[in-house]
Amino acid sequence: MNEALHEAMLAAHEDHDSAALIRLYTQAADLANDVDAACFFLTHAYVFALEAGAPEVAALRARLVSHGREVPVHEEAARMLNQSITRPASASGGKTG
Amino acid sequence: MTNNITDLSQVRRSVDQANGLPNAHYIDAGIFDEERHALLYGQWAGLAVAADVPEPGDAIPLSFLGMPLLLLRDKAGDVRVFQNICRHRGMILVEEPKKIRGAIRCPYHSWCYSTKGDLVSTPHVGGPGQNTHEAVERDELGLLEVRSHVWRDVIWVNLSGDAPAFEDAMADVIARWAEFDKPLYHGGADSRFTLEVNTNWKLAVENFCESYHLPWVHPGLNSYSRLEDHYNIESPDRYSGQGTMVYRQLKGENGELFTDFEDVGEKWNEQAEYIAIYPNVLLGVHRDHAFAIILEPQGTEKTVEHIHLYYATQDTDADLRATNTKMWKTVFEEDIFVVEGMQRGRHADLFDGGRFSPVMDSPTHCFHSWVAGQIETHRAKKRAAE
Repeated sequence: MNEALHEAMLAAHEDHDSAALIRLYTQAADLANDVDAACFFLTHAYVFALEAGAPEVAALRARLVSHGREVPVHEEAARMLNQSITRPASASGGKTG
Repeated sequence: MTNNITDLSQVRRSVDQANGLPNAHYIDAGIFDEERHALLYGQWAGLAVAADVPEPGDAIPLSFLGMPLLLLRDKAGDVRVFQNICRHRGMILVEEPKKIRGAIRCPYHSWCYSTKGDLVSTPHVGGPGQNTHEAVERDELGLLEVRSHVWRDVIWVNLSGDAPAFEDAMADVIARWAEFDKPLYHGGADSRFTLEVNTNWKLAVENFCESYHLPWVHPGLNSYSRLEDHYNIESPDRYSGQGTMVYRQLKGENGELFTDFEDVGEKWNEQAEYIAIYPNVLLGVHRDHAFAIILEPQGTEKTVEHIHLYYATQDTDADLRATNTKMWKTVFEEDIFVVEGMQRGRHADLFDGGRFSPVMDSPTHCFHSWVAGQIETHRAKKRAAE
């Protein structure tokens, strides 16, 4: 990894800038010389995308799956992960866990 | 500290012969720990209100009797309560209130969970860049969910996991207030406040559920809500409280009123009720507003009262709402010297738990009797397990 990229990553971590973390770790994966190093960086990009609910989740996961580093997401989980946060909260109601 | 043994035989006698709970139940750390299991973990206890997490993704870490919990509203809009720990190394997952935009990421090794508690990512678990391992079955490693139920916007939790279903445990009070089974709208930021009180949580219950003290401690109520207008409410082993036959609606300067709960019925035109639902939730209902108080026991002699006011409609007059909040805050603050005074009084070692007015104190005795019964059952189970 080049020094500029490394510095940019540190700054993104410092700022908790998830969009930058996703972008920079993806970039590091793209620049990596071997598949293990690439998957290491892809994993980080994927986790930060997952945390942020970012649109890159599906593509990053697909790349990991293609290298056998993650399992294909089953339908229910895909729906769960991709569901946008739009539903309004009800004023009250019941649910027993 | 005692050996967790107190004589409760006097407490379970009829109200005209009973003594109140012994001092140790208010000041002894060992008894507090016993009550944590017997009275709070094993029941449906109040934790928070659903209005604390109004939007999907809202998450709040809480500590209930020392147990770290995570309250959140999942992406489908359901309120959930989890133990606030990662299934990997037991790390605290969420340290401060936040919006979960995607997944909950553990800050230690970045295991990720959905807002429904499913484990969705285990980075590097099989080695660098290897994110799965056959020994780590995600389906079995979701967040540890606590049984929860929302009723009257209160989030009730059963930490032991073995209480009867909420609807069964609370069937009596749900039926009693069936007419108030309407949508409730939290009044918002100006309709919530907390009071930190140097008292054992049970004294706050005891003071709330009787009307005997009203003319002395709340003289402002005398003008319209006289002692003789009140009645006792008792449902042994479930709840107790008091009601009034002369509730009068708050009116603004220009005669504004809060909207009534729809079709609540003529019975409630001037009637209001205040019930302590055991163990730690205090509720009040009126034709035009309601309140919920959740008692958070923070130690033998410290309790935080979380107070929330509710209305029948989403939009209410801000001035009238502020006046109502101020009125209730004044009332609840007037009670502080009493519960703190009784708490300090529990260090008088000759005190025998006190004697009750058979007429006026029966709701308090009802609570004491429940406490004693639960503790005796808990002790019997413990002995049987030994």
